[in-house]
Amino acid sequence: MLLQRVSANDQGAMAEFFDRYGGLVYSVALRVLKDPGQAEDLMQEIFFQVWKKPEAFVQGRGSLGAWLAVVTRNRAVDVLRRRKPDDNVDDFVLASKTNLASEVEQNRMMEKVRQVLNGLPAEQQKSVEMAFFEGLTHAEIAAQTGDPLGTVKTRIRTALMSVRKAVQA
Amino acid sequence: MSDRAHIPQEDLALYAMHSLSAEESAEVRAHVDDCAECSAELAELLSDLALVAMSVEQHPVPAGARERLMEKVAADAAAEGRKPATVTSISDVPPPRRVYSSIQWAAVAAMIVFSFALLLKNGSLNQELHKQKLLAEHQAAESARAQQVLDVLTAKASQHVLLTSGKARPEPTGRAVYLASSGSLIFQANNLDPLPQGKTYELWVIPADGKAPIPAGLFRPNAVGSASVILPPLPTGVPAKAFGVTVERAQGSDTPTAPILLAGAPAPGE
Repeated sequence: MLLQRVSANDQGAMAEFFDRYGGLVYSVALRVLKDPGQAEDLMQEIFFQVWKKPEAFVQGRGSLGAWLAVVTRNRAVDVLRRRKPDDNVDDFVLASKTNLASEVEQNRMMEKVRQVLNGLPAEQQKSVEMAFFEGLTHAEIAAQTGDPLGTVKTRIRTALMSVRKAVQA
Repeated sequence: MSDRAHIPQEDLALYAMHSLSAEESAEVRAHVDDCAECSAELAELLSDLALVAMSVEQHPVPAGARERLMEKVAADAAAEGRKPATVTSISDVPPPRRVYSSIQWAAVAAMIVFSFALLLKNGSLNQELHKQKLLAEHQAAESARAQQVLDVLTAKASQHVLLTSGKARPEPTGRAVYLASSGSLIFQANNLDPLPQGKTYELWVIPADGKAPIPAGLFRPNAVGSASVILPPLPTGVPAKAFGVTVERAQGSDTPTAPILLAGAPAPGE
């Protein structure tokens, strides 16, 4: 596995790792931060931390790409919200559905997810945007939109269930 | 959210997004650590979120990003003097033998082990000290250079000369250097007309998103019409459409007063 070679201080493996996941990490960071300079800074920080601490990703906890996508989103939101980075930001388990066999399969699934997200009702899209890409708390979203807390929660859950249903289909 | 009941899916989703308050998050974490069912649902939700993150529009990494990372990685490897770790299989470790030795032999052995551990620790600390020293020297050199740049720009004794092609009296000019991502701005003006008492020049950043101009510093020219504004407090991440200079009352203004005496926009693509 690539990360095992990184653990053995193989710089070639690290370059290969960057070639494979650099675009994904940069794209997620850019989507949240909307600033190319900040997005690259965060990408450099994340890859350098992988080099320093490759054991942070635990095999059997889901796919590496999915793990990196979540870590990048969480770190980017911390930057955006000027929060102190959470120590447990990289410690989580993912379900096996993120283990996609091939790039073709992954592209197909991502296309499905995009279609689902674009087809969500406007208020659900807005809630996901504010919670996931802007890092607002449910209370802040409720305050900004004027919607009850329960409605905000339900919209976010319903949107995620739509994504889940689409990839299971 | 109580310890006994399972965590509602809505709250687990918010927890996965770090959208709960610190207290609520702590409560969810405590429950999930002990509840296989909620832990499994959290993994599902995190995977749903991972798919949302992975579905964002893909962009190529910036030019040179790979080289910058690999330079840092190579420097780190050199500084650490890291060598591939040797792995010893558990099966290679000989089984412990039961040896009867005197208390003195045990004490000597303990001392040897302790001394060896100290030696290793000492080597590691020396290596870290050397690394920190190199880093401090590098930062000191960078800091000294940055200070020198600031001194030249701001010192009263600095000569500000504008080179022109003709002999006519040069027009007032200003030059702004702006880094939106950090909200850093350096501005220098020449050939400004003197101002009456109670008036000041004010610099403005005109945001690209069409929002109101942001005041970026007050300044008065010296005897030869030069002035500068160095690193005024500005919000970060605001790309500029243009910069302008107006004359305002001495305490400055929240909105620019016409006419705009100096104005300029970044070159396309900058």
